[in-house]
Amino acid sequence: MAAGKNGQADRGLERPLELGVQTKNIVEDENPAAGFRMMKAAGFSCADFSLNYYLTNTTLYRFERNDFFDRSERELEEYFTPHRQGAKEAGIRIHQMHMPYPIYVPNGKQELNDYLWDVVAPKSLAVCAFFGCPYLVVHGFKLSRNLGSEEAEWEQTKRFLQSVAPAARERGITVCIENLYSNVGGHLVEGPCCNGKKAAERIDQINEQYGAEVLGFCFDTGHANLVGVDFEEFITTLGGRLKVLHIHDNDGVKDLHQIPFTFTKTRENTASTDWAGFVRGLRTIGFGQVLNFETAPVLNSFPDAIKEDALAFLARIGNWFSQEITRGHR
Amino acid sequence: MNISVSPAGITNPRVPRQGLQDIADAGFHSIFLEMGMCCPPQELERAGMADKEEAGQPEGVSAVEQPGMLGLQFARMEGQCREKGLGIPVARAPYFLRETKRTDLWGRMMQIHEESIRYCGTLGCGYLVVRPWQEHTGFALSKTSLGSEWEANRVYYLRLAAFAREHGVMLLLENQCRWVNGHLVRGVCSDGREAAEWIDRLNEEAGEERFGFCMDVGVCNLCGQDMHEFACALGSRIKAVILRDCDGHQENSLLPFTCSVQGKQQTDWLGLIRGLRDISFEGELVLDMSGTAAGFSPLLRPHLISLAKATAEYFCWQAGIEAQLKKNPLVVLFGAGNMCRNYMKCYGEKYPPLFTCDNNEKLWGTSFCGLEVKPPKALKKLPQGCVVLICNIYYREIERQLRELGVENIGFFNDEYMPSFYFDRLKEV
Repeated sequence: MAAGKNGQADRGLERPLELGVQTKNIVEDENPAAGFRMMKAAGFSCADFSLNYYLTNTTLYRFERNDFFDRSERELEEYFTPHRQGAKEAGIRIHQMHMPYPIYVPNGKQELNDYLWDVVAPKSLAVCAFFGCPYLVVHGFKLSRNLGSEEAEWEQTKRFLQSVAPAARERGITVCIENLYSNVGGHLVEGPCCNGKKAAERIDQINEQYGAEVLGFCFDTGHANLVGVDFEEFITTLGGRLKVLHIHDNDGVKDLHQIPFTFTKTRENTASTDWAGFVRGLRTIGFGQVLNFETAPVLNSFPDAIKEDALAFLARIGNWFSQEITRGHR
Repeated sequence: MNISVSPAGITNPRVPRQGLQDIADAGFHSIFLEMGMCCPPQELERAGMADKEEAGQPEGVSAVEQPGMLGLQFARMEGQCREKGLGIPVARAPYFLRETKRTDLWGRMMQIHEESIRYCGTLGCGYLVVRPWQEHTGFALSKTSLGSEWEANRVYYLRLAAFAREHGVMLLLENQCRWVNGHLVRGVCSDGREAAEWIDRLNEEAGEERFGFCMDVGVCNLCGQDMHEFACALGSRIKAVILRDCDGHQENSLLPFTCSVQGKQQTDWLGLIRGLRDISFEGELVLDMSGTAAGFSPLLRPHLISLAKATAEYFCWQAGIEAQLKKNPLVVLFGAGNMCRNYMKCYGEKYPPLFTCDNNEKLWGTSFCGLEVKPPKALKKLPQGCVVLICNIYYREIERQLRELGVENIGFFNDEYMPSFYFDRLKEV
C-alpha cells in the first residue's frame, strides 16, 4: 500500500483497517502453520513477526548471545520457509517485523556489539525481505546518560540507521524507529524517540539523504502511556511517517503489554489510557496501515482453553478501533 | 540562584508565626507564596454552590467568592515575613484541580488572577505563576484540544498582561499535566519547544518581556520527561524552577531525594541538573516540600527545614559546579580514583589541575589520567590561591587531613551528576 511521504496515507478510506498481532506466543517453530491459522481464525490478517524472539534482549543484557544468526542468509531462509509457507496458507501477511534489540549493549564487549551491528542487523533485513515484509522495527540506542544528551545519543542511533539504510533501500524495506522508555531507579521515563517533532524532522532528513522512504516510525501505545505522551499530538505530528503500531496497554507504571481498555485508576473505572486520543490522532492523519497488537503476554495471562478467545477479543477491539478511525472518512 | 521555600505544609496564613520563624531560623531569606493556600482548588471546584456547608466548605469569607479578599487573607503572613526579613520573590496564583469539571469560571478566575497580580505588586513580588488553561476532553472520540488551547490562553494572558505591567509583575506560565481518568499525562506547556514559542509570541504581542516560564520538576517527573531536554528547549525563559520530588505516578511535593524506592531515586535529578547547568540557570529555585513537611511533627520541622535548606543549596552547587571551577584557575585534586577520572573526562581539558595526590603510596610517582600522583605532603607547597578539590567520598576525613597539613583553600568535587559518564568504573587498586 502506497503512502504519502509526510502527509496523509493514500488509502481507500472507506475500507476497514487490517488487523495484526505479534507472532510471539502464537507461532511456534515446531508447527508455525498452526499459529498462523489461529491468528486468522481469531480475525487477524497480518502478523508482526517476532524476530527478536530468536535472540532475546535478556540474553544480550547478560552479555551473551546464541548462534541463531550465525546461519547464512540461505540457511535462515530455509529455517523460515515453513513460517512463510504457513502464513501464506493461512492468509496472513507479514506486515512488520521486530529486529532483535538492543543493537548496542552498553558495557558489552566490542565483539558482541560488532556482531549485532555487522551480522544481526543485515541478516534481519534479509529475513524481512524473505518474508516480503515492508517494515522492520528497531530500537534506538539508550545512551543519553553516558553520552550526556539526547542529541549525542541520537547521533549513535543515526550512525546505525545510516549503516542499514542502503540495504533497506535496496530491499524496499522501511526501518522504523520506536518510542522507548528508560529506567530511573525503576521509574520508567522518556527514552529514545519520545519527542514527536524531533522524530519527524530526523526521519525527513534521513529519507532525504537516501532519496527513499528508508526510515519511518513505530508508535508504541504502551511506552507512550508510561511516559505520559499525548497520543493525539504525537500521532498528528508524525503524520504519514507513522508506518507501524505496537498497540498494548498498561497501568502507566510497568510495561505490561496487556489488552487495551483494561486499566483504570479511579472508582469510575474508566480507562486510564487515552484511547480516545489514539483514535483521534489516527483519524486525523488518515492512518491506512495495520492496527497491530503487541500483546504476547496476554497469551500467557489466559489459560490455554481460552487463549483463542483472548486473541479474538483483541481482534474485536481492533475492529472497533478501525470503525472509529475510519468514521467520518466515508 | 535565589532559594525560596513554600510555606505550604509548614504553616498556614491564619497562624503563620511559628512556621515562618522556623523557615527564617533555617537560613532561608525568602518564601514562595502559594496563593492557593487561601483559595484552594477544591474550593474553586465548588464555587457558586448555594450551600457551602453541604459542599463541605468552611464558613467565612472566601477569596473564591470574593476575589478582592485574597490579599487580606495573607495579611498576617505578610506581616510576619516583613518582621522576619523574608522576601517574597515568587508567588503562584490560585489554580484548578487537575481533574476539574468547571468550564464556567473564566470570569471568576480572571478576577482572582487580577487580584493575585495586584497583591504581588503591593508585596514587591516580581514573578507570579499563572497556570495555563487546558481543555478536558474526557473520552471524546471527536473533540480535539489541539490548537484551541493556544488561542484560549493567548486571549487570557494578554488580558492579564496590561494589569501585570501596571503592577510590575512578570507572569510565568507553568508546565501542566492532564488528567486522563486518574492517570496524569503531558498537558499544556509540557512540550518545551512549544512552551518557548508560546512565551515568545506572548511577549511579542505584549511588546515587552512580560512573560516567562516556571518549570515544575514534579510535573516533569509525573510525565517521565527528559528534564535536560525540557530545560534546554526553554533556556533563559525559565525564571523559576519548582523543586519537588514524587514517585512519578501520583501528585506529591516531597523533599528532593526522599522519594526513594528500594534505595533508588524516582526522579531524574541528573537530567534536571544537566539542564540547569546547560542553561546557566540563575533564577528562582523554589523548594516545595509541602507533602513531606505536613507529615512531620512541628517539633521536628526545624530539623527538616534545615535539611531542606542544605538540599536546595546542594542543587545550586551542582548546577553551578562549572562556574565554581572557573573561579579557581589553580587547582590540585585529592584522589586518584573514579572521581578524579570523571573530573578529567569532563573538566580536565578546560580546567586542568596541576597534579593529583592520594594516600595510597603505591600510586605515588605514577601517572593517572595524565596527572602526576603525588603524596599528600606535596600539598604543603602550593602556589598562592591554589584550591585543593577533594575527589573522594571520604570528604570529611580528607578535609581534616588537609587542615592538619595546613591547607586552607579546600573545595569538594562530586561526580554524581556529571555532564557525561564513562561506561565502566575502575576497580579498586
